[in-house]
Amino acid sequence: MGVAVPTAVLVLWEIFSRLGIVSPRYFPAPTTVAWTLADRLVAGDLAGDLLVTLTRLALAFALAALPAVPLGLLMGIARPVRDLVEPYLAFVFPVPKITLLPFLLIILGVGEPAFVLTGASSAFFQIVISTLAGVQTMDPRLVEVGRNYGAHGPRLFWKVILPAALPAIFTGLRLGLGLSLVTLVAVEFVAAKSGLGHLVYRHWQMLSTPEMYAAFALVGALGLVLTRGLRALQARVLTWQEDIGV
Amino acid sequence: MALDRISLQAHAGEFLCIVGPSGSGKSTLLRVLAGLHRQSAGDVHIQADRPGTPLTAMVFQEHALLPWRTVRDNVTFGLENRGVGRAEREARAREMLAMVGLARFAQHYPHQLSGGMKQRVGIARALANDPEVLLMDEPLAALDAQTRTIMQEELLRIWATLGKTVVYVTHSLEEALLLGDRVVLLTARPGRVSQIYPVDLGRPRALEVRASPAYGALLEKIWSRLREEVVRAMEADRGVDPEAIGG
Amino acid sequence: MRAVGRWLGERWITIGSPLTVLVLWEWASATGLLRAVFFPRPSTIAGHLRDLAMDGTLWGHAATTLVRIGWSFSLAAILGVAIGLAMGLWRRLREGLDPVFAVIYPIPSVLFLPLVSFLVPPGEIALVVTTAVTSFFLIAFTTTHGVRQIDRLVVEAARHYGARGWRLFAAVLLPGALPFIFTGLRLGLGFALIVVVAVEIVSASRGLGALLWLSWQVLKVEDMYATFFVIALLGALLSYGLAALRARLLPWVPDAGDR
Repeated sequence: MGVAVPTAVLVLWEIFSRLGIVSPRYFPAPTTVAWTLADRLVAGDLAGDLLVTLTRLALAFALAALPAVPLGLLMGIARPVRDLVEPYLAFVFPVPKITLLPFLLIILGVGEPAFVLTGASSAFFQIVISTLAGVQTMDPRLVEVGRNYGAHGPRLFWKVILPAALPAIFTGLRLGLGLSLVTLVAVEFVAAKSGLGHLVYRHWQMLSTPEMYAAFALVGALGLVLTRGLRALQARVLTWQEDIGV
Repeated sequence: MALDRISLQAHAGEFLCIVGPSGSGKSTLLRVLAGLHRQSAGDVHIQADRPGTPLTAMVFQEHALLPWRTVRDNVTFGLENRGVGRAEREARAREMLAMVGLARFAQHYPHQLSGGMKQRVGIARALANDPEVLLMDEPLAALDAQTRTIMQEELLRIWATLGKTVVYVTHSLEEALLLGDRVVLLTARPGRVSQIYPVDLGRPRALEVRASPAYGALLEKIWSRLREEVVRAMEADRGVDPEAIGG
Repeated sequence: MRAVGRWLGERWITIGSPLTVLVLWEWASATGLLRAVFFPRPSTIAGHLRDLAMDGTLWGHAATTLVRIGWSFSLAAILGVAIGLAMGLWRRLREGLDPVFAVIYPIPSVLFLPLVSFLVPPGEIALVVTTAVTSFFLIAFTTTHGVRQIDRLVVEAARHYGARGWRLFAAVLLPGALPFIFTGLRLGLGFALIVVVAVEIVSASRGLGALLWLSWQVLKVEDMYATFFVIALLGALLSYGLAALRARLLPWVPDAGDR
């Protein structure tokens, strides 16, 4: 059952495209797209752009996660820090992060730092908020149990608060990685001259649709691998967690 | 198989209590009576004296109220589904809420009530449906000891007022002796009727009955038999591969 | 008056810190410590915001964006709730569509623009449909989950008390799923704003996203800041307004954040 519907869609698309019921110019047959994908991956330009996107993603994610987790934890345990940071969080969190791109472009100039930082910003806010929520929603009895059994100060943090917040931190990292991929691809689409997002844009403009769909499919596969893979990893690492949720 | 060859008869107006070790199928029996669970063989006969009224109404262990309906709308739910007019529904809800002592809470939502109050709503919902037989599946099991005692007295009072036939599942022998006319003891898996004990402790009954020698003797008698069943059930479990239980 | 005092006493950091930052920014930008080309003084930005509002430019772009959000959100909400409910109720449908959704959902919505522009007339309609994609998935997912998480005992009790078919749906399944549907709608509306701005940056000549992008291209830095402020304000209004609406409409749900 699991693959029946996707298979049916692809087969119908193939037939309709071959018979010309839908325009093969706009909707090339899936087999054509698959051949193009395989060909371009081997020939190099698609593989190269995939690598560019992955490198930007890794940099953006690291730049976001490294400060975001400590900041979220600090906000969770120190009330003044939370009061200090919360207004900016509340102001910027609901804003589409791609709007930061023009600001970074004028400050840093058109180039990699501006692209990567825009991608990082969307992960950063998500990770801070998830981490903070993890500390805030932990069962307060756990802290009492910890104190009662002699865990204070740093011990209380390392042995009780951090483990309790860990599932939420992991969820934040997972969502953050997904968000920075989305933002990065959008950034590539509008501003960059390389990467999978740019490939979709360029082949759209040139109406070379098989290449466009090939890049599109690669982005979908990348997103699927990242979301599914991280969920599996989370279930693996945090074995005591009952339900991972969305 | 949870139950095997059960044959039971409840008399009109009787308070029949069913006890047994965990896993003896007490709840399954009740769900078969309620029509929530299809038995693989056998029949359930309920003599209907008043056509048009439902045969059974169940009070669930975890109250199972609809969280998005007010207390009053939970009580009228069964009547609404049967197409009873609004005025009559509301009059009936008022009456039943007064009977369980929740008249003032008609417009509250379940999450605003304590555990004992929620179960009172569950009882009012069942009574408002005016069934031939009232089915109760460990209705007080989730309550704290004091609330449970108060609710037991309430149940005795309500039953005395309405004279309904009640089939009451409980894991507490003390509760069965306090409430029931007869106590049915089920065996461990598969559940069969082990013994039926008449409870000759007089009516009306109150908590004080627990101090009487007759109560103590009957409790001792049923308990020794129940204990055998519990031990037998535990030994049967030990014989089983522990890995297989989780599956 | 005393209540106001206590409120200020508890929240003085939260209120004071942005004010301090604004004052410092004003001062640093005026003295040249910050380059005013990149970081114009807040008072200058406010002046530009007023000018944009006075000559009607801002209202025109904001209205365009809001109308697009309205259409996209309505489209996503109607389809998302309907398909989400159907998927929650029928297992076969859910198992059939789950893998399709799993593949499509993580794709950034902006990338759908080329695809959508092949399917529907390019321009306004393509823009609205592209914006609806992400919101649709979010709403459908949460609605399905909302139906699936209803306590089985509650459904059983409702059946026992005579609720069948349409009545079971209207009295139990729909209200049981409603808190989740509402969360889905809230997330969907939030994402409609995010995506519409992104799509406007990519391809539109009108709307707040387009205004921001065009201001960058002609290096009107003050207008960029002013537009950003308006977009953030819109986001805050949407997310906090809906939270308040939910408390109003679903009184049986005990207070709990669903972040």
